[in-house]
Amino acid sequence: MKRKIELMAPAGSRDSLMAAIQGGADSVYFGVEQLNMRARATMNFTLEDLEEVAELCRSNGVRSYITVNTILYDHDISIMKRIVDRAKEAGIDAIIASDQGAIGYARSVGLECHISTQVNISNVETLRFYSHFADVAVLARELSLRQMEDIVKVIEREQIKGPSGELMQVEVFAHGALCMAVSGKCYLSLHSHNSSANRGACIQNCRRTYTVIDKEEGVEMEIDNEFIMSPKDLCTVDFLDQLLNTGVSVLKIEGRGREPGYVKTVIECYREAIDAYLDGTYNEEKVAGWMARLEKVYNRGFWGGYYLGQKLGEWTDGPGSKATTKKIYLGKVNHYYPKAGVGEFKMETHAIKPGDNIMITGPTTGVVEMEVDELWVNEKPADQATKGDLFSMKIDRVRESDKLYKIVDVER
Amino acid sequence: MIIITHQRDKCIGCNYCVELAEEQWRMSKKDGKSVLLGAVNKKGFHTLRVPMDDDEVLHNNEKAAEACPVNIIKVSQT
Repeated sequence: MKRKIELMAPAGSRDSLMAAIQGGADSVYFGVEQLNMRARATMNFTLEDLEEVAELCRSNGVRSYITVNTILYDHDISIMKRIVDRAKEAGIDAIIASDQGAIGYARSVGLECHISTQVNISNVETLRFYSHFADVAVLARELSLRQMEDIVKVIEREQIKGPSGELMQVEVFAHGALCMAVSGKCYLSLHSHNSSANRGACIQNCRRTYTVIDKEEGVEMEIDNEFIMSPKDLCTVDFLDQLLNTGVSVLKIEGRGREPGYVKTVIECYREAIDAYLDGTYNEEKVAGWMARLEKVYNRGFWGGYYLGQKLGEWTDGPGSKATTKKIYLGKVNHYYPKAGVGEFKMETHAIKPGDNIMITGPTTGVVEMEVDELWVNEKPADQATKGDLFSMKIDRVRESDKLYKIVDVER
Repeated sequence: MIIITHQRDKCIGCNYCVELAEEQWRMSKKDGKSVLLGAVNKKGFHTLRVPMDDDEVLHNNEKAAEACPVNIIKVSQT
């Protein structure tokens, strides 16, 4: 039987959900209401959206998971139960949980449960414990490849099975932001801003610059890198063969706060990499291609996390992204003529000309990327369209109100 | 008069306001968000008017507003 590897994508919005599906994800995860690790995000889905989201995923052959992975207080129990009940009713495939209250409740109503990274599973006995409740568990990001492999072997040897009767599936993070705290269990944001990361309200103050001052004499220490708490992002595409050789079966991509273009690019690269691994065509040349594409979208620089056994984290040296491209907002889709395959756009700012790389995103469209070939302004061919123009061009299906961006290289 | 407003939709249910100003706040067992007791909801903004100038009410709710991680509590005195 051919080995199955699941690629799990973040869906922080409808646009990103579509982008994940288009990119080739096998499953998506997203938050509803406030009990998830991106509680601040205004773009979380609501309980009313669930049927539609579940159906959209199902019709595309994609599994859908809801994250309910914050710390839970007594006052959260009823909303937690409602989320789990609604998820089951709506046909959502599983919840991702960390609090034992949520894990136990999901099990009691017969909804598949996955163990969240917040549980920090670092050994096979913890995994065995959770196998009474869950079919999938993500391993702590701090484990090495060797440790992962050992855990997978014990699962097989001792036939550790989840409630479904199948062997426990091991999930690992493959790409995205890392956190200086072990499995994201951090108190920095709570300490400085009353804003608990463990309630999904992290303000990411670790991503800022800091100085070190000797309190006795007030001498400021010189440190080469002021971003002393901000790790680079995890990237495993360059050693995905080693990662998959451990026997893990689910690769999770971090990034519910990321825009749809990011989700599509990252999912496409990892989809191709997994497929290449499975059919034996994974090679250095392809890796170089994927790396170049991944560097184009948001990143703080890449490293392999702790998987390869580095002693210390690698810290980023900048405040934000090191992406080699950025997107500039241009305007919106005014109308689409499906028969002609032509989109009409309203330029609100900047200019566009043939040869420019553009991206259109929308809740149903997901992400469409292309190079501008010909464009028409006022129904005449034109060499550019500028602010205020109504212009049209041939393009794949897009929809009214979708957003139009130009992708440009970042000069450094 | 003290006026307290709460933009309830954005509440993440952290419980700080209840800890700091328990006379005015409760956690809802229904949806896990906090409730400003006696407040009137107008388009998502829940407003409570306290007619008397009570220093303790003012002080406690100012602390709650300061502590709120999502900055959805506003306190003013007229």
